[in-house]
Amino acid sequence: MGWWRNWKGATAVIAVATFTLLAGCRPELEPLAPEVFAMERPDHFPDFAPFGDTEVTEAGFALGRRLFYDTKLSADSSVSCASCHAQVHAFADHNVRFSTGVGGALGTRNSPGLLNLAWHPTFMMDGGITHLEVQPLAPLNLAHEMAMDLQVLANRLGLDSDYPALFAEAFGEGETPVTGQRILLALTQFQVMLVSASSKYDAVYTGNEGFAADEARGYALFQTHCAACHTEPLLTDFSFVNTGLDMHSEDVGRYSITLNPADSGAFVVPSLRNVALTRPFMHDGRFWSLEQVVAFYATDVQDNGRLDDRLPGPLPLTAEDQADLVAFLKTLTDHEFTSDKRWMDPR
Amino acid sequence: MKLNYILWVAFGAALVSLSACKEEPIVEPAEPVTGDFLIEFEYQWAMNGEPFALNTELHHPMTGDYLTFSTFRHYVGHVELQDAAGEWWTDTEAYALFDAAEPDELTLRVTGVPVGDYTDMRLVLGVDSTHNVSGAQAGALDPAQGMFWNWNTGYIMVKAEGTSPQSATGSFAYHLGGFAGDAKVQSHREFALSDHGMLTVAKDAVPVCHFVANPAKLFHTYGSVANGENIHMPGVNAGIMGQDFHQAVYLDHIHP
Repeated sequence: MGWWRNWKGATAVIAVATFTLLAGCRPELEPLAPEVFAMERPDHFPDFAPFGDTEVTEAGFALGRRLFYDTKLSADSSVSCASCHAQVHAFADHNVRFSTGVGGALGTRNSPGLLNLAWHPTFMMDGGITHLEVQPLAPLNLAHEMAMDLQVLANRLGLDSDYPALFAEAFGEGETPVTGQRILLALTQFQVMLVSASSKYDAVYTGNEGFAADEARGYALFQTHCAACHTEPLLTDFSFVNTGLDMHSEDVGRYSITLNPADSGAFVVPSLRNVALTRPFMHDGRFWSLEQVVAFYATDVQDNGRLDDRLPGPLPLTAEDQADLVAFLKTLTDHEFTSDKRWMDPR
Repeated sequence: MKLNYILWVAFGAALVSLSACKEEPIVEPAEPVTGDFLIEFEYQWAMNGEPFALNTELHHPMTGDYLTFSTFRHYVGHVELQDAAGEWWTDTEAYALFDAAEPDELTLRVTGVPVGDYTDMRLVLGVDSTHNVSGAQAGALDPAQGMFWNWNTGYIMVKAEGTSPQSATGSFAYHLGGFAGDAKVQSHREFALSDHGMLTVAKDAVPVCHFVANPAKLFHTYGSVANGENIHMPGVNAGIMGQDFHQAVYLDHIHP
């Protein structure tokens, strides 16, 4: 394949030379647009969601990354996005059932991991938010999370010694460099880059590796019993499903958006990528281990009258089947993702 | 290989054009002549011409409620103008948040309008559906304005808050939004400018289209605040209140 590499190299030289010649025709040089940061779709992934294909620049990404890790985003400067979305846990919280916001207030749903957001048609467990750019309003505004008004935050960052220059670099000077819109756009540029596609499962899926015997049995069981909702390769179809966790759900879930009684107690199907890192599980973090989750599906699914058609009742899984499924779920851990330096705290 | 082929061709073309482009005279395209105009709002309470004011107790003649508004804000935008030849000029990004707390700023300045006479205007009272679902917007539509829901994507297109002895809690808060289906709050309205002697946009003048809105209309169908002192989500009630308010807006006159 050496000739091909050389051919590619020569092509690149020609491309640069062509660009240089053409650029020479311009009456005057314009400042270069910020370098387009790579927002790549893994080959085995489907197309982005309608708004997923965000243009990402290096300056915009760097600003979003800094904001994500900055406690100034909360009213009392106590918590940042990363406080409850930690890279070592695939951007879920540090194995707590409910996250702690300003003043020690506790949330009401388990903090989800943040990954592959460019493929999400909706956000939040009830799907109420339909565009990634406006999702940060929820954690910013909520009294038990960051308790921060977006305009107050724009004013605060506008008075900061560093931020106005960073916003101007990413988005231009404008009337004022720091605006609510730009805060949201920068956070989007960081979050949309959080792509997890390098687990052992991905290596097997793309034909580059093989499963161990128990993982392979677990994968077969997964395809039979789970993949209708946890659709490959994203491992979710983003639908809203009542899985029979309760006869009567305290948290009405999807119903709060649709007001359709059939949606009461339905929550979005989460991706299972990195699931071994994001315990505890379910919308309210009621299960501590993967073993408990799988056991729930084998024995405890409750016929509450609103079960999804794809889960008519408990799944026929023996104890060995359950162990094999857990072995498979552990192949979804992506260590490249959790150790990628681009996502780390920039300080 | 196709890309490589294209690059080789482009390389050749660039070489050929190298000398030619140096001598190319720069022709400035003629700037189209444009002007600005203002959309201005005035509020009147009920049908008796009483001025609407915040922090003042107002009596609703239909419901009998006594209402003291502390907040009254609403969106207007997506401006379209039709000239005498029937051609439409459109600025989908022109939006203003009208806020009764800022009585000196109850205007939307529409800029870059080709000079000429216009016979009809279309406005969106509220926010058009596309802007509800297209992510973080700038300016008047910036979510930092506090008019964007954080739990259910979409704008609060009309926000009316205050107190009333007829309310079960003593206060009321109507956050009217919802952009889809039968319960949508935004209203696409057309106003005949020709009834007011035409809107003439010129280079050196800023004409004003003066609109009148009546916040009492919020309760026209909905009735008393006793029927429910809060609306915080899209739905039938938000749609009824929003439409009743938006449909009653009228163009009063045009200042040249």
